[in-house]
Amino acid sequence: MEKIRVLLVDDEADFRRPIAKRLDRRGFEIHEAGSGEEALDYLEANPIDVVVLDVKMPGLNGIDTMARIKERFQGIEVILLTGHSSTEDGVEGIKQGAFDYLTKPIELTHLAGKINQATEKRRREIEKKREAEFRTKMEQQMVATERLASLGTLSTGIAHEIDNPLAIIKESAGYMRLVLNKDEMSGIPRQKDLSNAVDKIEAAVDRTRRITHQLLGFVRKQEKSFMETDLKALADETLEFLGKEARQNNIEISIEAGGERVIWSNPYEIRQVLINLVTNAIHATPAGGRITIRIEDQGEGVALTVADTGSGIPKENLDKIFEPFFTTKPPGQGTGLGLYVSRGIVGRLGGKMRVDSRVGRGTKIVIELPRCQPPVEGEITDNENICYEILNRIKGEPES
Amino acid sequence: MIKIPTNVLIVDDEKDFVEMFGLRLEEAGERVHRAYSGKESLDLLAKEYIDVVVLDIKMPGMDGIETLQEIKKRYPIVEVIMLTGHGTIETAVEGMKLGAYEYLLKPADVEEITTKIEGARKRKEEQEERIRKAEQRSLLRKGGNVY
Repeated sequence: MEKIRVLLVDDEADFRRPIAKRLDRRGFEIHEAGSGEEALDYLEANPIDVVVLDVKMPGLNGIDTMARIKERFQGIEVILLTGHSSTEDGVEGIKQGAFDYLTKPIELTHLAGKINQATEKRRREIEKKREAEFRTKMEQQMVATERLASLGTLSTGIAHEIDNPLAIIKESAGYMRLVLNKDEMSGIPRQKDLSNAVDKIEAAVDRTRRITHQLLGFVRKQEKSFMETDLKALADETLEFLGKEARQNNIEISIEAGGERVIWSNPYEIRQVLINLVTNAIHATPAGGRITIRIEDQGEGVALTVADTGSGIPKENLDKIFEPFFTTKPPGQGTGLGLYVSRGIVGRLGGKMRVDSRVGRGTKIVIELPRCQPPVEGEITDNENICYEILNRIKGEPES
Repeated sequence: MIKIPTNVLIVDDEKDFVEMFGLRLEEAGERVHRAYSGKESLDLLAKEYIDVVVLDIKMPGMDGIETLQEIKKRYPIVEVIMLTGHGTIETAVEGMKLGAYEYLLKPADVEEITTKIEGARKRKEEQEERIRKAEQRSLLRKGGNVY
């Protein structure tokens, strides 16, 4: 328990000293000032919890000193000391924001009690403020999550609906190409122009198709169930898959794996996430840079980190990167869905994803996945349920 | 090499798709029939000789899976290729368990479609061949029996 810091302000040293000593013996941290001005100077430079302030002082009196304290320093509580015959000073002081007043000569136990109460009040206020801040933050997060979720629903709906007209466009373009390539068409004027236009249509269809594929998480064709998942093996596969591209760009990729790295999860989905993250890292990292895939045992969970020494993400983009269709790449190069889909997958698997990035220094994306347990032999249970129990335990802790 | 045309039946409620896809297959030398609903496709199968049905999964009324089951029940030898959008991939897989030859994701590449139609037709021919041989064997065994 921290000592309560008290500033005792009184122009009479003979009165001030003994009180300071006795308060010190009761475990308060005492500082003294001989005038209002001195008190204000002291507060300018030092943190104080409670000010005990004599009302009648030459120069700046107690009430005026208090007014300035309230004006300049938030959250400091003031206890006023008034002369025996001037209780109205105390009442006036309370009106102006003092915590309380005591009449001289003071009873020390009484004063100590008041100081404790004032501190308690301040502590409660700080807590309330923190709680309010936390609640606002949570609400903002929830709004953001809900927005993403509804955007997600909308975009998958759109993706499904797009398949059919897209198929028609593709067939029509294909048919035009077939007709154009017929012998009887070989002599027509401007054949090249037409064929060029058909190329463009087909390329655009393929581009649209890439978007819908990614949006709907093509892994959904795969097994949906949980199984033993070796994260190191998945990292190796990812490297095999993307290593060539990295080497062509002169980027060094390495894997660091420590501890137990087999978890009970969905390897297909984790592989998709890894491929998305490493692809992003490759695109963000200039020649000569480094990418590290790190797997760390965290007891109940495992942390999977993809870190690069690339260009980093500007602050203003940090809260947009998980939104669908957000991309900094030129049109046709990126779908803006990689991180959005990845975060959805990690959430489904009961994990958390966070990003830590510095412009010009690099980006680190950390995924925390629960370890989960395979079902007990002979017991018919839903693996995911076992997993969710653990998750809820983990989620019980407040976000850092 | 002379191409033997495959008799293809396209079934999809998207008329534009059926038209374009059909024209394309015809250009590639196939013989194409068209139907715009599950029920219509069954009527056509009753009248026409069909090797391969290309069947859309999502149709109003009788959907692709129901149509597939009905086709397989009445014409077990006819091969079926399912056409699916993203929303119905799982259904397409289910269709394969119910006897569909293969499924394709819309929009499909023409090479892919041609390859799969070719494969489906081969399977149907092999099947027909086996049936013919089995019939011959059973006829030979019956050979001594006078009516």
